[in-house]
Amino acid sequence: MYGGGTIFESKGYKELSLEDPEKLEAFQARIDRGEKIEPTDWMPDMYRKQLIRMIEQHAHSEIIGALPEGTWITRAPGFRRKLAQMAKVQDEVGHGQLLYSAAETLGKSREEMFNDLINGKSKYSNIFNYPAFTWADSNVISWLVDAGAIVNQTANAKGSYGPYCRALERICAEESFHLKYGHDAVVHLATGSPLQRQMVQEALHRWWPPLMHFFGPSDKISVHTEQLMRWKVKMATNDDMRQQFLDMYVPKIWELGLTLPDENLKKNYETGLWEFTEPDWEEFKRVINGDGPCNKERLAVRKSAEEKGAWVRRALLSPKAQYVQPLA
Amino acid sequence: MNTEALKELLYKMADDQLILGHRNSEWTGIGPLLEEDIAFSSMAQDKLGHSQALYQLLNQLGEADPDTIAFHRKGSSFKNCQFTELPIGEYDFSLVRHFLYDLAEKIRFEMLTESSYEPLAQVARNFLGELRYHELHAITWIKQLGTATEESIGRLQESLDFSLPYALGIFEPSPFEADLIAEGIFEGEEALKAKWLLKVKEVLGQTNLRMPEISLLTPVYGGRMGNHTEYLQPLLNEMTEVVLLDPAAEW
Amino acid sequence: MNTPLISLDPRITRLGLYEVIPETLVPKSPLDQFETYEAFFQKKVEGHYEHTGPVHAPHPELAYLFAKEQYSRRGNTCTGIAVVKTEDIQATAFTDNDKNIYDLIIPRGEIDLSGPVKSFDIFHMKKRGQHHEHVGRVEAHSAEEAIYKAKQEFSSLAPVVNVWVAATEDIRFSTPEEKSFWDTLPLKKYREPLAYKVQGKIDQYKKEHSSN
Repeated sequence: MYGGGTIFESKGYKELSLEDPEKLEAFQARIDRGEKIEPTDWMPDMYRKQLIRMIEQHAHSEIIGALPEGTWITRAPGFRRKLAQMAKVQDEVGHGQLLYSAAETLGKSREEMFNDLINGKSKYSNIFNYPAFTWADSNVISWLVDAGAIVNQTANAKGSYGPYCRALERICAEESFHLKYGHDAVVHLATGSPLQRQMVQEALHRWWPPLMHFFGPSDKISVHTEQLMRWKVKMATNDDMRQQFLDMYVPKIWELGLTLPDENLKKNYETGLWEFTEPDWEEFKRVINGDGPCNKERLAVRKSAEEKGAWVRRALLSPKAQYVQPLA
Repeated sequence: MNTEALKELLYKMADDQLILGHRNSEWTGIGPLLEEDIAFSSMAQDKLGHSQALYQLLNQLGEADPDTIAFHRKGSSFKNCQFTELPIGEYDFSLVRHFLYDLAEKIRFEMLTESSYEPLAQVARNFLGELRYHELHAITWIKQLGTATEESIGRLQESLDFSLPYALGIFEPSPFEADLIAEGIFEGEEALKAKWLLKVKEVLGQTNLRMPEISLLTPVYGGRMGNHTEYLQPLLNEMTEVVLLDPAAEW
Repeated sequence: MNTPLISLDPRITRLGLYEVIPETLVPKSPLDQFETYEAFFQKKVEGHYEHTGPVHAPHPELAYLFAKEQYSRRGNTCTGIAVVKTEDIQATAFTDNDKNIYDLIIPRGEIDLSGPVKSFDIFHMKKRGQHHEHVGRVEAHSAEEAIYKAKQEFSSLAPVVNVWVAATEDIRFSTPEEKSFWDTLPLKKYREPLAYKVQGKIDQYKKEHSSN
């Protein structure tokens, strides 16, 4: 579950002007032909570093994203929801595994990525720093955060890096279960008893501001982003993805008679674009930088999982084993 | 057919699976390795699936539907053994419980494929494949960690010593043992325990773990009669928290 | 005073964490990373094994167990999983989509024919971005010879951009008895999008609320 909104430009890569122009041209030509890049191909350092950063953030978002919904895993109401909630959170962990593997093919080990996450050096999707107060919050996440993630991931699946595309192909297929499951649960609440309806309405109001943040602020169109778009690393602008999300899901929310906490939210049929109150980007920055309601807990839990599991790893490490990057 | 005896058997099996599946699901997202996190969650889901299928058989025998049975009973009517309700603890305990319990479960289902009660035999046959996986998973881990380092062997040994009296509680005799055996519904807890002991010893024999002298242990009984530890009721309160917000609603 | 962390998640509260979290993590040892395996999936009996992705595991048997749940826990059918250590796979270079990598493989002088003959499994990637598929086996003295043999045997198929070769003895395939692992896969409907259908409820709601 990742919206792409927190990618920062990678740093410390070899300047493009220092790369071999002939290789660079052949690389661009391959992408322009619609061919995927595979791990052992020559690639510019900036491409490699930016992809590692992006895929790594995506992977972290999955395993941290397992926590807000995990909050309700032991309390899901009834067999059907209990099984689905378990499977849904499990899938997020599975997606983390797939994405770490894809990033590893570019030369960064999973352990390094874990350490960077725990030490706060590497970011994850901001939305998971908010708490899931009720069962309905969990349902809203399953439906709408996953919906947002699908918009981003479907775009990225058409990108240029083979291993990332393969991982995303599997992830998107699994997310379609999440989306349907989340929608099913929200519809049950919205059309259920007054208490259920109130629960889901309140949850929706809580999650709307973080959902508007999900794709990140409008892109500054810099030389850097233009380059990433030519290389099919960045596949859509943050604004385009936000528009697509609003277009697909606001009508589905409204048809249930549910409201959203933005009086200005409406579609302008002349421009074909949604209009809304500008999200609070100061809050967005504040939360990304560690001052959200759950940042500390999320990292503490991840860190505790690492520490509690360390004896298992210590026991089974083979002194002869050398780390090997996955092949594809 | 002695329906009371059959129901008693189904209730204890189903309650075991529900409670242990619930406990094991607590590891989802916080397990020791990503890949193991995924595998352990799948097996917890499988357990829930087993309990659902067994409650369904009870439903066909006139009991309430699976959701009502699982989410609307008080602790004292649960027939799970106490072993299954204990908190997840550290991963060594959860693995040892998985090993001891799932080996027994797999043998029980194997025996039940021959049950004279055909619907139960059918359920047992359906699930045998996934139980083979659970068994392989458990044995592989115990063999790996049980032969690795002083630390891992020590942890497993401690969990094993703690768990075995509880594990013997899986086989707490039912008041209906003789009826179940006579009617060919189930060969009985004694027969199951004997097969289980052989298998547990066989696996431990391939590790550096020591099997305590079973005859010296006092089995922890009571669960099958509805007597539970301090951990079951809070578990049920948690599990039913959302359902009970509005018991009549469809969630 | 460091107070215990009370989470909204009762599982997390039970972990017994504290609200104040020490700032730094003791760095893990650099070798703290399990070996890498590539996993393959067989959808139907007699079907091709297809590469699905990697797993990390400390032992081939655990890699096999992990691959099963990571790569075959949903869908209607699966009849087998295979895993092999990544380092035990010999891979060719990648070529362009419209070229055949076999055309670029030319025996360079003498191939080592000492030692016993054994079986090797051959996997093809047909186009960049796709998965490697199992195409067959050859008998050879070495992985190098196996590639040349594969060229003779399989290069008449569609063009291939990349080839993997692994000794059969290094691959952990599902055994025939293990096919029953997946017997209950069709019962896991709750993992499939098709299990969730709410249009009826939505239509009903709209009908009830449209008149006023």
